[in-house]
Amino acid sequence: MIILNYIASFFLIVLGLYCIVMKYNLVKTVIGLSIMDYGVNLLIITIGYNPGGTAPIFTPGELQAASYFVDPIPQALTLTSIVIGACVTAMSLSLVMKLKEMYGTLDTREIRRLRG
Amino acid sequence: MSHINLLYLLDPLHFPIFSIMLYFLGAFCIVLFGKNRIVRNCIAFVATGLSLTLLCLLIKPIMIQNAILPYWMGYRVPAGGYAIGIALEVDALSLFFGLLIATAVFVSCLYSFSYMSEDDNEPQYYTLFLMLAGGVMGLVLSGDLFNMFIMVEILTFAAVALTAFRNRVTGALEAAFKYLVVGCIGSTCILAGTIILYQQAHTLNLAQLATIIPLCKGTNISIAFALLFIGFCTKAFIVPFHPLAADAHGAAPAPVSVLISGVLTKSGIYGIIRLAYFLFQTMNLGTMQFWLVFLGSVSMFVCVTMALAQHDFKRLLAFHSISQIGYVLTAIGLATALGASAGLYHAMNHTLFKGLLFLTAGAVLHETGTTDLGKLGGLSKKMPHTTVLFLIGAASISGIPPFNGFASKWLIYQATYEKAAETGNIGFAFVTIVALVTSTLTLASFVKVTQSVFFGQLPKECENAKEVSFGMRFAMGILAVLCTITGLFPNMVQQYLTGPAAKTLFHVSRYINAMMGSGYAESTMGASAPEAATRTIETVGVWNPVNWLMLLMIALLAICIVAIASKYDAVRENKSEKVEAKYSLFYGGEDTVFSQVGGGDLFWGFKHNWRHYFSFMHDLHSGIVNDYSLWAVIALALAMVYALIVL
Repeated sequence: MIILNYIASFFLIVLGLYCIVMKYNLVKTVIGLSIMDYGVNLLIITIGYNPGGTAPIFTPGELQAASYFVDPIPQALTLTSIVIGACVTAMSLSLVMKLKEMYGTLDTREIRRLRG
Repeated sequence: MSHINLLYLLDPLHFPIFSIMLYFLGAFCIVLFGKNRIVRNCIAFVATGLSLTLLCLLIKPIMIQNAILPYWMGYRVPAGGYAIGIALEVDALSLFFGLLIATAVFVSCLYSFSYMSEDDNEPQYYTLFLMLAGGVMGLVLSGDLFNMFIMVEILTFAAVALTAFRNRVTGALEAAFKYLVVGCIGSTCILAGTIILYQQAHTLNLAQLATIIPLCKGTNISIAFALLFIGFCTKAFIVPFHPLAADAHGAAPAPVSVLISGVLTKSGIYGIIRLAYFLFQTMNLGTMQFWLVFLGSVSMFVCVTMALAQHDFKRLLAFHSISQIGYVLTAIGLATALGASAGLYHAMNHTLFKGLLFLTAGAVLHETGTTDLGKLGGLSKKMPHTTVLFLIGAASISGIPPFNGFASKWLIYQATYEKAAETGNIGFAFVTIVALVTSTLTLASFVKVTQSVFFGQLPKECENAKEVSFGMRFAMGILAVLCTITGLFPNMVQQYLTGPAAKTLFHVSRYINAMMGSGYAESTMGASAPEAATRTIETVGVWNPVNWLMLLMIALLAICIVAIASKYDAVRENKSEKVEAKYSLFYGGEDTVFSQVGGGDLFWGFKHNWRHYFSFMHDLHSGIVNDYSLWAVIALALAMVYALIVL
């Protein structure tokens, strides 16, 4: 069933991009960014997954050549990526807040003083 | 207890990690102790200055003795042919970009001391400033693909926050948000590309990836290449990502513009070089060369024409900045020794002259409170030193001898022309013409800026302007001196800086062996190990008279093309009222309010002839974040299709 994970992750990435491109509300843009991030996180976890593998936690001496576990590196990468995703959301939401104060709207079509 | 030998830390081996850590440590210390202005400035000065010094000390072993410094964090050296630790690897290419970054950061830090002194939240400014510097430095010195992603995120965040730093300036928040959205699409692309490569190669080490990836072929590899390529393109602001740069520069404080233009774009260029030359080793494919040269040429031409239509000083400079990055990408894409050397030379010059120009724009803003070209004028009487410094920068970017832009642009013309002769492909000769025309338009644009800011009549609002403080002039002076020196001694620059750096591009197996143990590349990759290419770098042909004759010929061709193009346009006079009014020949009627350019614009004739193009481009850059995201998605899709076809 691992193929379902891949399909889901690519679907999430595309959905996120669709949301960013098509939605004119700043908050929805931020949501799109998050969805895209989740898609990539799911992709990372899926790539590190070995069917039937155990959690990659071992005490010294316990690890043997026959041990079968999922790849720990992608999990470490995902943690980093989740933290970064949270920072993106926090920062973009704070910008949205300030934008709303200054422009009085959340519509991207009206927030375009810089153009041309 | 074992005694730690402190002298051991003075080994050059540790310098790269120190030069990264100093920035982050400085950022951290400023948060803790930065309440006092003097303490804060001292910390920033020491962090940036020491980092630059450490990198300068590495010039001798790396640039001259041709060493490569691998550094394994915690001494986790490769075991069983697998890189298990996190590594830094400093070869001549990394050091070259590292030096550029450290210089730009140091100078703009000096400038900030007086420039930012009237802002509130100064400690936060220096924290973000040092984090941006540390992020870029970490990116170029890293030997690990995932670390490169982390550093990309750090520098994007710091750059977004700094763009919005003066959040009461018109457009600052807006620019920051657009940059954040498109920048995050780029970063996510880099992460997705990284993880697809990991799935193929089960390693994140650059050297080990470079041995495995070129042997794998398939859909995954092509898609990963496209993702990483587009990711680094967003960092370098290559077309279609150029509007972000323009928005960000207009709003950010001047020293930050120096970092975004001189440092951040370099990180993107560095990423593209590492990707195309080292990881995938695709640069021997004609199709890949075509791709980079095409993107570079489009960037340089589109952005210079966008710059011509601007009426804001900093926004205009931003478009020129991307135009010059187009030159760099074009030269890098030629995949010849001369091209690579020329591209790196121009990258260095871009950092120097663009930094200088942004700092002069900052000085003008500091004294007059505006960067609108229509409201400025006659400042040469009030700010003579700034004027002279600006003229040096303008001469450099326009490629006027004896300044540095001339030498590197000349090399780029020569490299594209030689490539045309070598391959018999007339397209590369056309690129030479585009580069020449772009250079001419750059000069035209800077003549306009000089005229409308520093000469002409002094408006009443600017009468209180006076020369900026010594600290600011000193920082600008450093860059001006560097612009002149690198222009006067192109052979020295070639020999000690760009030459060794360009050579590494064609000796990939040395890079791999230095990291993974000697003989690793040959044993793993077998016959397909990247050969130690014997390409040599020709001497700089700047002063060879025959070359001047060829330049004359190319210039004549360029004039013909421009003449034919504008004639063709002039024949089709038409009636579109709105367009007519905007680029009309005569100002002074009621339409001037609507006009994009001041009445003193020198090039109204040219603009009038090209009005349809300008109008089209103006409408295209709509300023809506959805449009820019759409461009990113389209670019990504096209890159994927192209990579699938050619790789």
